[in-house]
Amino acid sequence: MKQNPIVKKIGINRIVLCCVLVLMYVIFSIFGKNFVGMQRIMSALNYAYFLGFLSLGVTFVIATGGIDFSIGPVMFCSALVSGYCLTHYGVPMVLSLIISILVGLLFGVFNGYFVAYWTVPPFIISMASMNIAKGLASVFTKTQSVSWPQSADANGWYRNFIKVGNFPVGLVIFLVFAVLCSILLNQTKAGRYILSLGSNKEAVRLSGVNVKKWEMLAYIICGTLVGIAAIFYVAAYTTVQPGYGDQYNNEAIAGCVMGGTSMAGGLASISGTVIGVFIIALLQEGILALGFTKDYQLIITGIIVIVAVYADVVTRRRKK
Amino acid sequence: MGDTILTMKDIDKSFPGVHALDHVSFEVKKGEVHALMGENGAGKSTLMKVLTGIYTKDSGTITYEGKEVEFHNTRDAQDAGIVIVHQELNMLGHLTVAQNIFIGREFKKGIFIDDKRMNEEAAKLFEKLHIDIDPMETMSNLTVGKQQMCEIAKAISHKAKVIVFDEPSAALTEAEIEELFKIIKDLRKQQLGIVYISHRMDEIKVITDRVTVMRDGSYVGTLVTADCTKDDIINMMVGRVIYEDPKTESTVPKDAPVVLKVDHLNAGRMVQDVSFELRKGEILGFSGLMGAGRTETARAIFGADPKTSGDIYVNGRKVEINSPQDAVKCGIGYLSEDRKRFGIVVQKSVAENSTMAALENFTKGLFINKKKEKNTAQGYVDSLATKTPSTEQLVVNLSGGNQQKIVIAKWLVRNCDILIFDEPTRGIDVGAKNEIYKLMNRLAEEGKSIIMISSEMTEILRMSDRIVVMCEGKKTGEVDISEASQETIMNLATREI
Repeated sequence: MKQNPIVKKIGINRIVLCCVLVLMYVIFSIFGKNFVGMQRIMSALNYAYFLGFLSLGVTFVIATGGIDFSIGPVMFCSALVSGYCLTHYGVPMVLSLIISILVGLLFGVFNGYFVAYWTVPPFIISMASMNIAKGLASVFTKTQSVSWPQSADANGWYRNFIKVGNFPVGLVIFLVFAVLCSILLNQTKAGRYILSLGSNKEAVRLSGVNVKKWEMLAYIICGTLVGIAAIFYVAAYTTVQPGYGDQYNNEAIAGCVMGGTSMAGGLASISGTVIGVFIIALLQEGILALGFTKDYQLIITGIIVIVAVYADVVTRRRKK
Repeated sequence: MGDTILTMKDIDKSFPGVHALDHVSFEVKKGEVHALMGENGAGKSTLMKVLTGIYTKDSGTITYEGKEVEFHNTRDAQDAGIVIVHQELNMLGHLTVAQNIFIGREFKKGIFIDDKRMNEEAAKLFEKLHIDIDPMETMSNLTVGKQQMCEIAKAISHKAKVIVFDEPSAALTEAEIEELFKIIKDLRKQQLGIVYISHRMDEIKVITDRVTVMRDGSYVGTLVTADCTKDDIINMMVGRVIYEDPKTESTVPKDAPVVLKVDHLNAGRMVQDVSFELRKGEILGFSGLMGAGRTETARAIFGADPKTSGDIYVNGRKVEINSPQDAVKCGIGYLSEDRKRFGIVVQKSVAENSTMAALENFTKGLFINKKKEKNTAQGYVDSLATKTPSTEQLVVNLSGGNQQKIVIAKWLVRNCDILIFDEPTRGIDVGAKNEIYKLMNRLAEEGKSIIMISSEMTEILRMSDRIVVMCEGKKTGEVDISEASQETIMNLATREI
């Protein structure tokens, strides 16, 4: 099949990202302390899973031209509420995992409803739900951290989502979800309308399309993936503390935008998001290996967001 | 009249797909009011935008006060003394009159804004112009006419030597227009060069010294106003007939079924008690001046804006239309005057835009059948003769005429039988215009019913079977094409009920 120039261009963008990923690995391997080896990679992957689900989710929201700053705290809220049910109310593990997804989904419904039907700016509503998520989690857990079971415990099987022995099950699951998201975005009516309304909402509305429904759906998809992200977070780290989670917003959005999803909406790439997430996760490990504290990672992520968004703005301006 | 202050020579400007200005020349003398006339899309506004640096010209020269100049933005032009008073007023409603006039160059006392001095200076300015406005009044409290006076005062305060009025009278009452003319005559006495853009023939005779006519992006000629008649100007504006033959009588049988009936429709100030019927296979023209409420009527019928009262019947059945979704279900399609904002998604492909309104016909389960989509889109590309390299092409890369065809295709794919064309040929090349006309006639012959809103008199007279005329949100008349003329329509369009 003949590729049109735009497809080619996105292809080049992805190739460049892959090169960056490899280059980063090489640099960290040479200059980092004890960077080479399976352990670092597994550690980076643990980070990539939950971040990846957040990033996949927010890709749908950004595709509509919106933004969601509540994903990190909502993920923590999901993990805390479901974990507290598990440890304090004796709710079975399977049900707890479902609760986790449900909490994320409900926040998605909440955000989506206000954005689509009340036309509240996404920035405002997601800031508000970020606070609600944090507060809700604290109230629910009485401001105590929640510890999910260890691998050896009776209910420890959920940690197999991440790895069995040394096999990275999480990677397989994450990539399967990424493929599903890509199909959803590019091959279905929902994806078509989400991308189109991100590009020109009024034109889509005047074509007789129920834009509110589809815009809200993007937030619901996002929330659901955030709920799944919570499962992968606890499977990797077991302990969650109330009152945190904001830092992951930036990282997830950075991964998404770096991958070629436009902050202006209408243009999104799932495969780009996946590579972007791996870059952020590797960076997190690499910075530690180079002997810097985690604070530097925050600074670098911040800079990446600026560079990625600027690159997006410049490309769009050139197109005009 | 004094020396020539401004000369534009051989100005050429192209946009993708449109040759907007084709070697146009224009000049203004000191102490002259020079009318710039032409139909919509003739290139008047483009020429003025080239002058003030909003657009960059492709070739040609601009000579101002004896020197060749090139302005890069309106600020440059303003500093040199060339100012446009726009049709849409660029005022900040929440600020005072004085604050608006001196915006961007406020008087200061230390780091603070010196409102007192600004008020004094504004008052002096108004006195000089014999305008009665309180500088301390909030802008949004003024009438449109008064706001325009403020724009003029602002222009003068920039030490303007050339002032361009872009359809200044479009939104003014008779009394306000008279006041405006007094000011313009005053400015003429002060040896300013004035460019006056307007459609209103009567005004041109009253206020201007010379007339330059443009047509389809070309310079047609310049006349001394006192030596020419209205008809001379109209002939120059319309020119040779290159379009579809004008209709002399309706081809729609008198007993053709009514497909759309609008009964006492109300929607805000701009749509008051509008009723009409549309028959099968008919092209119903909607004529009127700018702001007559035609687009608002269309949007209310289509459910794009809420209506306050009134009934709509489709094929004799009463329907509830509260959103574009409902309208599309009834088989109504709306083609907006502003394609880029309301018609197409420019960053998406021809195929994606073509199926936008009927995607459910192209889905198998959850998935879009892209092959079927492509084939259908290609079918309409062929039958409408849309010029595009492929159905994968992004719509942003097509010319205005071809974009319009994509919007038409969108509604045909959805199988809409009632099509509302709002200014169907705005911003479209002459050749492409003719194609759109042919296409509309073909659609009507095939049994589609068309409402065509147009501000171009010639277009209305060429295409319509029947004409509804609106003024200030009300329907002022309805004429059959066999009885229609420019004068009858103009009379109705300016009649206030």
